[in-house]
Amino acid sequence: MATNVLPRPVQRLIDEFARLPGIGPKSAARLTFYLLRAADDQAFDLSDALRELKERTRFCSVCFNITEEDPCLVCEDLGRDRTLLCVVEEPLDVVAIERSRAYHGLYHVLHGAISPVEGVGPEDLRIAELVERVQKGNFKEIILATNPTLEGESTALYLQRRLAGLNIRLTRLARGLPVGGDLEYTDEITLGRALEGRQEFKE
Amino acid sequence: MHIRHLSLTNFRNYGRLELDLPLGPILLHGDNAQGKTNLLEAIYYLATTRSPHADQDAQLINWIAAQSEEPIVVCRLVADVAAAAEKRQIEMRLIQEVNLSGRNGGRTFRREALVNRRKVRLMDLLGKLQVVQFLPEDMQLVTGPPGNRRRYMDITLCQIDPIYCRQLSQYNKILEQRNALLRRLAEGRGKRDVLPIFTEKLIKLGSEIFRRRAMFLANLARETHRIHYEELTEGKETVRLGYLPRLQENGGRRADELIALEQLGEWLQSHVDDADAVQARFEQALAAALPTDMVRCTTSVGPHRDDWRFWINGRNLASYGSRGQQRSAILALKLAEIHWMTKISNETPVLLLDEVVAELDEHRRALLLTYIKELHQALLTATDPGMFTKDFLRQATTMAVENGRVIPDKI
Ligand SMILES: Nc1ncnc2c1ncn2[C@@H]1O[C@H](COP(=O)(O)OP(=O)(O)OP(=O)(O)O)[C@@H](O)[C@H]1O
Ligand SMILES: [Mg+2]
Ligand SMILES: [Zn+2]
Repeated sequence: MATNVLPRPVQRLIDEFARLPGIGPKSAARLTFYLLRAADDQAFDLSDALRELKERTRFCSVCFNITEEDPCLVCEDLGRDRTLLCVVEEPLDVVAIERSRAYHGLYHVLHGAISPVEGVGPEDLRIAELVERVQKGNFKEIILATNPTLEGESTALYLQRRLAGLNIRLTRLARGLPVGGDLEYTDEITLGRALEGRQEFKE
Repeated sequence: MHIRHLSLTNFRNYGRLELDLPLGPILLHGDNAQGKTNLLEAIYYLATTRSPHADQDAQLINWIAAQSEEPIVVCRLVADVAAAAEKRQIEMRLIQEVNLSGRNGGRTFRREALVNRRKVRLMDLLGKLQVVQFLPEDMQLVTGPPGNRRRYMDITLCQIDPIYCRQLSQYNKILEQRNALLRRLAEGRGKRDVLPIFTEKLIKLGSEIFRRRAMFLANLARETHRIHYEELTEGKETVRLGYLPRLQENGGRRADELIALEQLGEWLQSHVDDADAVQARFEQALAAALPTDMVRCTTSVGPHRDDWRFWINGRNLASYGSRGQQRSAILALKLAEIHWMTKISNETPVLLLDEVVAELDEHRRALLLTYIKELHQALLTATDPGMFTKDFLRQATTMAVENGRVIPDKI
């Protein structure tokens, strides 16, 4: 049997990297040796960042986005429209919507979508919390902004059932044509949905 | 439509092939194990993204290339297709990558599809090249298991109807989710109020599939009957295709069940334009099956359990037909398929005939050859070109296939 000539700390970091999604043993080794040769600062900065990630962040107890303070900055921001709620699957979806600058309401992060195949049911998502929040709040409209995948669609449908009867307007993001897209080259499904979701033409 | 040029790299025993293909019938001849079937398989694969012969697509990669030490091996199939209104190039790539970390036996396999050099979903390749294939194994459509007949319907319909193809793939995903949910519920996990969500989607998509299949089979049945009656048996025999939609639970005596399913098939065919009625019926069937489905953790009704059947003079062809009768029925079906595709898409499909000509008697062979003349292109294989008439050989382009090379005969 060959002896492992790598010092234990090196092997340990390789193993830790290899546990991350999308990183195989080869990349894990490459990253480790890169850090081994890099200036001390860089390695210590990384280790600080990792520690901070776990010690200084948590889920907002109102919207379940990741945050440093609880409640989060968005939930605390009094300049936002508190009658408008946007439900998304993941924290990164909030980032994407914020980037659009087109939305000024509040958020609710589910942390996934219903998918029995992957063992994810409503009880694994922040759905009970959503229902309670909506019942107590003063929302006029809830945008169900889950992804246009089968799982996202099913989740939206499920939420619609759970929230029906509360007399609040429920909406879904319009699924339209990509900007700069050409009608001729749009597949028939996208085009069909864009037609279904067509809107009044106003000036 | 027709293929103007075919290019293969590392496909089966073709290390490298650049082949111009003319219009009209093309006869590929050569000894056994030279690559005739492989060439037709390549064309069929480009048209349908499926192989009729391989259990795993990785088997299509040339094995010398696949076993080389190269970190990445690409098997490439490209066809320049001329359709009525436009020319297009379609391409499939089968990519094997060695990943040194040793997971999955150290090799990963993936597929890519391109139309006019732009990457598309595999699904979007369907219909870009339309083919009708006729193999000796197609006799299995009469006598084989229901899965064969469903696959035949799906592959044929998907080539013509992209919406069907999309719905079928969504249906299968929803079905998988619903079955997983039934399993979770049986284990006492999961929530019952999620079930209606998946059931409703299943009903929507499933009833579309029922309707499209019913329409398809009705059209195919009419033409199959005509060809069989008028052109194959001189008015002596009648063949009928009966749709057996799984709109009712499996159960009772097999013979009674067949009658019930056949009636449901007729009901569907008279309601193809009534989406609401079909949905209501499927909903009923799912509700009736729910108690047993909850126990078995599976969905026992729906198009994923469909079947259809040939009848000859009022009897089940699979149990009562002679080999010759079965062969005539399949020939009529294939000719009807050509007719149907041409009518719906305004394009004639490329016909792929592997060996079957050798198995037909003179009358059937002559009929097949008259149909071939109507097409823009047909590829046939034979070990012995001698079985074709001089007249046919004059019209056909003949090419010799030798150990992964194709050499057009000199005229
Ligand atoms: N992945 C592969 N890589 C290389 N060669 C292969 C591969 N798969 C099959 N072959 C070879 O291809 C040959 C078979 O070719 P094919 O089936 O096209 O023959 P054919 O000309 O149709 O013969 P027949 O007249 O017997 O039907 C066999 O010699 C087989 O070993
Ligand atoms: Mg062969
Ligand atoms: Zn918050």
